[in-house]
Amino acid sequence: MTAKLDPVTLEVIRSALPAIATEMAADLHRTSYNMMIYEVRDFCTAMLLPDSRLVSQNVGGVSHFVADLGAIIVDGMNRYGAAGFKHDDVIITNHQAVAGQHLNNIVIYMPYFYKGELKMFSMVRAHWIDVGGISTGFGGGAEVVDPWMEGLQLDQLKIYENGKPVEILLKVIRDNIRFPDSSMGDMRSQIAACKLAHRRLDELFDKFGQTTMMEAIEYIFLETEKRCRKVVSGFPSGVYEAEAFLDDDGVKKGERVRVHAKVTVDQETGSMEIDLSGCSAERKAGINSRTLAGARVAYKSLTAPLDAVNEGSFNALKHVIPEGNIMMARYPMPMSGWSTIVPTVVDTIIKALAPAAKERIPAAHLGTLGAAVVFFGRNPKTGKAFVVQSIEGGGWGGRPHEDGESGSVSVCQGDVRNGSIEAIEMKTPVLVEKRALRTDSGGPGRFRGGLGLDVQVTNFVEGRWNLHSPARVECPPWGLWEGKPGNTSNYLLKLPGDNDFHEKDENRYPTPANAQVMVRSNGGGGWGNPLDREADRVRYDVIEGYVTIEHARSDYGVVLSAKDYVIDAAATEKLRSEMRAKAVA
Amino acid sequence: MVFLAVDIGGTFTDLIAFDDKTGRFFQAKSLTTPRNHVDGIIDCIEKSELDPGTINHLIHGSTTAINTLIERKGAKVGLIVTRGTRDVYAIGRGNRPEAYNLFFHRPKPLVPRHLTIEVNERLLASGEVREALDPASVKAACDILVKEGVDAVAVCFLHSYANPEHEQQAGEIVRKAMPKAYVSLSHEIMREYREYERISTTAVNAYIGPVVGGYVRNLQNRLETIGFKGELAIMQSNGGVMAPATAINRPVTMMESGPVGGIIAAAQVGQALGYANVVSFDMGGTTAKASLVRDGEASMAEGYYVGGYASGHPVMTPVVDIVEVGAGGGSIASIDDVGALKVGPQSSGAEPGPICYGRGGTEPTITDANVILGRIGANDFLGGEMKLDRDAALKGMQERIAKPLNMTAEEAASAVVQIAIAKMALCVREVSVEKGYDPRDFVLIASGGGGAVHAVAIARELFVPTVIVPRFPSHFSALGMLMADERHDLVRTYLAELNVADFDLIRRITEELTGEAYKLLGRKDNCTTQVQFDLRYVGQEFTLPISVTPEQLARADRKAIRKSFDDLHEQRYAHQAADEPVEMINIRLVALGQRSKLALPALPREGKLAPREIRQVLFEGKTAVDCPVYDREKLTPGDKFDGPALVSEYGSTTVIFPLDKVSVADTGELIISVGNAQ
Repeated sequence: MTAKLDPVTLEVIRSALPAIATEMAADLHRTSYNMMIYEVRDFCTAMLLPDSRLVSQNVGGVSHFVADLGAIIVDGMNRYGAAGFKHDDVIITNHQAVAGQHLNNIVIYMPYFYKGELKMFSMVRAHWIDVGGISTGFGGGAEVVDPWMEGLQLDQLKIYENGKPVEILLKVIRDNIRFPDSSMGDMRSQIAACKLAHRRLDELFDKFGQTTMMEAIEYIFLETEKRCRKVVSGFPSGVYEAEAFLDDDGVKKGERVRVHAKVTVDQETGSMEIDLSGCSAERKAGINSRTLAGARVAYKSLTAPLDAVNEGSFNALKHVIPEGNIMMARYPMPMSGWSTIVPTVVDTIIKALAPAAKERIPAAHLGTLGAAVVFFGRNPKTGKAFVVQSIEGGGWGGRPHEDGESGSVSVCQGDVRNGSIEAIEMKTPVLVEKRALRTDSGGPGRFRGGLGLDVQVTNFVEGRWNLHSPARVECPPWGLWEGKPGNTSNYLLKLPGDNDFHEKDENRYPTPANAQVMVRSNGGGGWGNPLDREADRVRYDVIEGYVTIEHARSDYGVVLSAKDYVIDAAATEKLRSEMRAKAVA
Repeated sequence: MVFLAVDIGGTFTDLIAFDDKTGRFFQAKSLTTPRNHVDGIIDCIEKSELDPGTINHLIHGSTTAINTLIERKGAKVGLIVTRGTRDVYAIGRGNRPEAYNLFFHRPKPLVPRHLTIEVNERLLASGEVREALDPASVKAACDILVKEGVDAVAVCFLHSYANPEHEQQAGEIVRKAMPKAYVSLSHEIMREYREYERISTTAVNAYIGPVVGGYVRNLQNRLETIGFKGELAIMQSNGGVMAPATAINRPVTMMESGPVGGIIAAAQVGQALGYANVVSFDMGGTTAKASLVRDGEASMAEGYYVGGYASGHPVMTPVVDIVEVGAGGGSIASIDDVGALKVGPQSSGAEPGPICYGRGGTEPTITDANVILGRIGANDFLGGEMKLDRDAALKGMQERIAKPLNMTAEEAASAVVQIAIAKMALCVREVSVEKGYDPRDFVLIASGGGGAVHAVAIARELFVPTVIVPRFPSHFSALGMLMADERHDLVRTYLAELNVADFDLIRRITEELTGEAYKLLGRKDNCTTQVQFDLRYVGQEFTLPISVTPEQLARADRKAIRKSFDDLHEQRYAHQAADEPVEMINIRLVALGQRSKLALPALPREGKLAPREIRQVLFEGKTAVDCPVYDREKLTPGDKFDGPALVSEYGSTTVIFPLDKVSVADTGELIISVGNAQ
């Protein structure tokens, strides 16, 4: 530590940098025009050094944005060179050759100069409601065959040069997206957030001077890295592996998409390598990406989940993802559903480490990006287009000391909120009949998995439903240590005149008025042997309606009377010992 | 007239009273009695030596409501909801604010699932009835709840904000079937859309209702017994007071009853001294709180999460916007696992407290650091009633902080205080700079035991030119209660684009709200109402509240209303969209019933300015300097002196640095002009 980097200066800068990223996020969140930002918080805000290292990033929204910003700065610097950036330039990009995510994720960034010298870039990546292409919103789905079909591609273009708008480019963008007012509003919010960062950075640089600031940033990186290494040093050295799969990629039905993680821990140095080479090769379906998110989200959750994010958060992590892998796909492989696979990848990495750290690893969670309620059309009463969108959570896995949480969004989504029923009905011609926990959907275990949801919606006008999402029915959220898997999900449809709901697996499915759809989400896996769960807890689950009396018997071996659910202790003991004996056999 | 306020805090119950005939203040403090707060209040009144029969107004703020919730000591509640929504309360918004935490916790509902019962009824967003309420299903729900022995029932139906009839009908059935139960109907608690937040708010109300209701009634009875014949009022989270009967029905509105007093006081003291824009800064034992007062009015939030955003209970009733940070006198300084110096949020609390208290504390705190630096005198804490052990503090600081960081104990103490100041400055920034306000246009009013110790340093950090230390800084919350008006916030959801909004309907709703407000106020004289629209650009989710004048309302002046919105959006977020359509989502009515105002009396000008002692105090660098220490009680209006200086009083010390200048106002406040803050 040099003289100027006393503990006070360090602590002040250490908390000031994340405060800037957080303030940028708060601003964007409150002024955005589309629910993907204000409810789903599908965005990130950050500051990066010109060499692409991450100074600070907001925490709280969509977790998988924790990766992949650096590549854009490397590309931008190659394109323009440090001298090619001017004060108040605004660059827009979403091009998949580098950005590697679906085209809706529009990156806006601005160079930050202090005393004429390029010091950082401020950056906001946010999900625009529409970028043109085959479908309204982001219903492009797995069938999208290439980026041109998906929508407008923007490759590191200046939309403002030295503070002056590039009108032609702005017009091209407006003319090629479906909700230009909304997206131009979001763009204004993104730019405002970047400029806000510059004002705050000016204050900090003025106060501490350039040398101290830059030294402090380097020191904070080192310190953060050290903190992560310390945690990893708590795991025994070894090579740990786990495997899972998605049922299919959405195009080739019935062909599984393999997910494999090989995690190498070096206890002595506290370093970790996450090798995802065993995952499927890139697919001819829109579930590819170029992302480090799987490895990074898992690593962050295991090391310092509540701390701010900077470059040091990942310095002690090595990732191996070869070119041509589903998560390092080569342009122009389709990426419209880029993050589909990430929750399963994260869970697989975490599962691999279960033998190394039994007390720190929960059973599997819902494993998908949640059950999405998506219905769109034109309201005959108003003549206006509408989109219903809500992301519903599912069950999380049982934990080493407690049950998993129910109805919560995936590991890739943080502060992502479902749509309020009243708000949905106020704005769109549908009725939400039910948003409920699904009884018996939590994986049985000593600590039970959380429950998945059933969300039932009636559409009052004709329109199109999205009724496909990559499923994990054949590879349900697993239990750990003899815990059982969670119950899995699918979409159900009941057309007017039908007596019952039927399974449906199709996107943009044209549906007449007064059809009903049931959107379901997975339950989480159980942790530990369900036969070890206290009978009283099982009884309370029955009283609360989380578990039926039948499943109390068949999954937990607990026998209850039909009236008042009195535990039959003798019958329970007998049944449990029979079930144990059978399991051994 | 005699005004008296009692504020129950975590550690102390504070009383302050003022007799406007004699101009005399009365103060008393007693330890809070967690088992029975009412005993503490009566005890405090006895200590004050006031004749209860002479008290005209008694205002009370209390942590009873929030403690009942946080400690989970409320009623057994049953919840009756629309078919299909039984689990809405448990599912909430499905979000996980701690994005990377695999072991996150969702808010735990106050009502178990088996006491949450669906009934048959359905309204549409327009308020139209899609399915009429089936009374038999409500009756059947009551049968179960009676059998389960619940004490309170919350009723929350979808879209009841648009049409409350079903909830009213259900309420009648419940009250008939369960005459002893405490009943809360969601539209009466919060007539605003978003079912999860409304259910949560209503459930909280029902959960704390029986306890708080019993408490308020008990207080009324005990006051009567000791001869009190005046008017009792209860402090609300919105900074106004309410009648006891209202508190019994809507206890959820008194959640933040305690801390808001200080903000009201800051607003009033600021105005009396000619400052309409104030940042109120209050530092106690475990946290520091900042709040913004603009044009004499405290900033409001539409609600908050009790227990924190990540796993707390949403309570969506208007509350004075307070930003809190874990830095109080008792906050602990420590070195973390990679060698970084941290201050807080862990606190040594009242027990064992800082090392210097000599009650077994072993970890150095912010207070210890200030004692080491000489800023808090070891002999003048609580007027000398409690001696502080500076040597022990020094030793603890040396071992825990200085040694690992290879510095002297004094340097370590200075670092701890500076880090605390930086943290608190971030908190003050959050209510000012980050809301688009320039702190240079504000004055900082410091209260709480630690406020005045650090306020000047914080002000310098943020370029705030003036700091005011009011009288009674450690009784400031109670003082504010003496100054509060009666206030009721009413809201009604009405969604429409502003340029086609039906102003006839809006005026009708406003009249209804006004009628309801006057019912709550129970009078018409000296009352005012203010209408606000919650506005946003079409497509946005979050709204800004925009005040609407009676003329704008009468003339349907959409243009002017919209202009105010564009301007506030620009102020708050540094951009606006004057070409985009604007929509309204809620109509709000704020009703104020003015109460007889307490005006702080001018103090006599007597005595000569002279320090009590000269002490060695460390301000900056490594050398302590000679610093005069003044007794607050002996300062008189017109006194002027320069820093460095300390002003010591019963519950606090004001730290004035070299380059700062102090003058004493006619009413006794210290006005500090902050050096180097331009």
